[in-house]
Amino acid sequence: MNCTNVVGFYLFARRVGGALCSAVTLFLVVALLAAMLLPGALQASEGQVLPPRQHWSFTGMFGQFDNGALKRGAQVAVQSCMACHSIKYIKFDQLRQLGLNEVEVKALAESQGRTKKDAMISAMDAAAAKESFGVVPPDLSLITKARKGYEDYTYGILTGYASEGDLALANRVMADGKVSGEEAREVASALQLDQRHPDKMAEVLKRMMAGENFNRYFPGHFFAMPQPLADGAVAYADGTENSKVQLARDVVTFLAWAAEPTQMERKALGIKVILFLVILTIMLYAVKRRIWARVH
Amino acid sequence: MSKIMEWVDARLPVTELIKSQATEYPTPKNLNYWWNFGSLALLVLIIMIATGLFLAMHYKADANQAFDVVEHIMRDVNYGWLLRYLHANGASFFFMVVYIHILRGMYYGSYRKPREILWWFGIILFFMMMGTAFMGYVLPWGQMSYWGAAVITNLMSAIPVVGEDLVVWVWGGFSVGDPTLNRFFALHFLLPLVIFGVVILHLWALHAVHSNNPVGIDLHDKKDSLPFHPYYTIKDLYGYGVFMIVFCAFVFYAPNFFLEPDNYIPANPMQTPAHIVPEWYFLPFYAILRSIDFLGSFSKLAGVIAMAGAIAILFILPFLDRSPVRSFRYRPLSRQLFWIFVIDCFFLGWVGYNPADAAVFDGALPLIVVGRTCTAIYFGYFFLLWVITAFDIEKHTPVPKSI
Repeated sequence: MNCTNVVGFYLFARRVGGALCSAVTLFLVVALLAAMLLPGALQASEGQVLPPRQHWSFTGMFGQFDNGALKRGAQVAVQSCMACHSIKYIKFDQLRQLGLNEVEVKALAESQGRTKKDAMISAMDAAAAKESFGVVPPDLSLITKARKGYEDYTYGILTGYASEGDLALANRVMADGKVSGEEAREVASALQLDQRHPDKMAEVLKRMMAGENFNRYFPGHFFAMPQPLADGAVAYADGTENSKVQLARDVVTFLAWAAEPTQMERKALGIKVILFLVILTIMLYAVKRRIWARVH
Repeated sequence: MSKIMEWVDARLPVTELIKSQATEYPTPKNLNYWWNFGSLALLVLIIMIATGLFLAMHYKADANQAFDVVEHIMRDVNYGWLLRYLHANGASFFFMVVYIHILRGMYYGSYRKPREILWWFGIILFFMMMGTAFMGYVLPWGQMSYWGAAVITNLMSAIPVVGEDLVVWVWGGFSVGDPTLNRFFALHFLLPLVIFGVVILHLWALHAVHSNNPVGIDLHDKKDSLPFHPYYTIKDLYGYGVFMIVFCAFVFYAPNFFLEPDNYIPANPMQTPAHIVPEWYFLPFYAILRSIDFLGSFSKLAGVIAMAGAIAILFILPFLDRSPVRSFRYRPLSRQLFWIFVIDCFFLGWVGYNPADAAVFDGALPLIVVGRTCTAIYFGYFFLLWVITAFDIEKHTPVPKSI
């Protein structure tokens, strides 16, 4: 081990090793950042468009539910969603927590053939649903927590169907039964789909023309649920405009509440707990400094 | 009071034990804040056992009721949501704390002679923690619970000869089902208590050889040590405060940050999720498992061996590292390797999170290639650490004679 050649080699190897290590570290850091941060660096799953972020009053540390939206949302949920979907972890009676009165709750329950003590179970039975739609409609109690994108995803689904304009465009393009590259890009742009795969557009258009339900934000774009909301589908008593977008916002607000009715209690307690911990920790730090002053 | 203690001490030397092992227990005076994470791990273990006990009082290990009963805890049980979110986030924070604790040991050479047995108890604890966390994740019986359990238990089928039978035995049937859930609950309840026992062994081994320190040298001068109380009791308490602030910020304001949305969908054996991901703390090992796909029919077994080996290799780390110096503070080459290793673990985690067939840079670089490279770097750390120390390639910088 003490032969000069060997020592020389070791010294050389050490320097090379050090340089290599630095180079690899640098490469790893840059590559990691590039791979994670560059837009589109990682290909999104086939046929998935992420729903745009919405502003919700109830998210964030100090977010609170808009009570008007909750009440309207409950109405939309019962009168529209519950035709097929259940919200089984909520009982009609619990809707009084949102500010609905006894009479209103009773009316909503009776509209579904239930009493106010019943859980919000759809009148449509699972077998009938499977018969008509091919799938059993999922329970909505946890829907805003159970999908990537959370509230934004549910809102995206409710508002992500092909518009009249989109369908007219599809009709025009498919009139000659062929889809040119130019047309494919036009359709992809209108539907806000990935423009890098124009060949997929013919398939999408064919399925749209066959009456399948296209939705921009559903993974794979086609699913069993026909457009559930429309302008004016539910009559609001408080004078709020009942556009499709408004119905969607209200019902998503309601579903976010239904997914975790204790969330405002959680946030309110959190502030107290954390404030207490901050003061306690500051005091512990002061004591720590004082005790360690004897050593330093 | 002193009379009572005298009576007790004559029969069981409690005062002596508290003095020698706690209040007056000599601790190096130069420990930095990375040394807080051992006691933090104990704090989280206690939080997990306490919240877990109360959750168990409301939980039902029944495939038809488990999902509903978790929602019952969230909605109807007084502060049930708090118990569950403390417990679920506690698992994530447990791993964070323990990963930092392990990396601290690796950086300052705490696994070196004479602390090998202490280090081994730590690895055994880590192994048991992973098993406990995995089985706990199955209990809510959501989609990810079910399919995660299916994927991971299925790995045992790779074991030659007995593998297939072993899987059926573990499942208690021909698929993951109600018997699986029941036994996982029983084991999930038992294992933390075993962990607690091994923690006592871990502490015993620590107190036999005493703490390492950032300089990594043995302490000869009595002036280099401080009594544990009040110096480290107060420092640990301050650490607890800081930790609890961060922990509670997640529990109260982002309780689902570490959870997969899919696990709020009830388990459905007929419908496989689009892609199955384990919890974040398993992702690096999951990536190593998947990166071995080039050995044909042996790939599965080799992947399982690589994954188990990724942890098992820590057992021989004390013998791989031959440097005369413990602390990487004075070992420039080891230090660089260490940071590559740490970054590589994040990389592996990221690879594990993404679908196996994904690709980066517009499809130019399949993720599996990144995964294989990162796996090679992971094991390369241990190999190179041995090479540079066994062949004296690394020249350490001057080590202080005392702290």
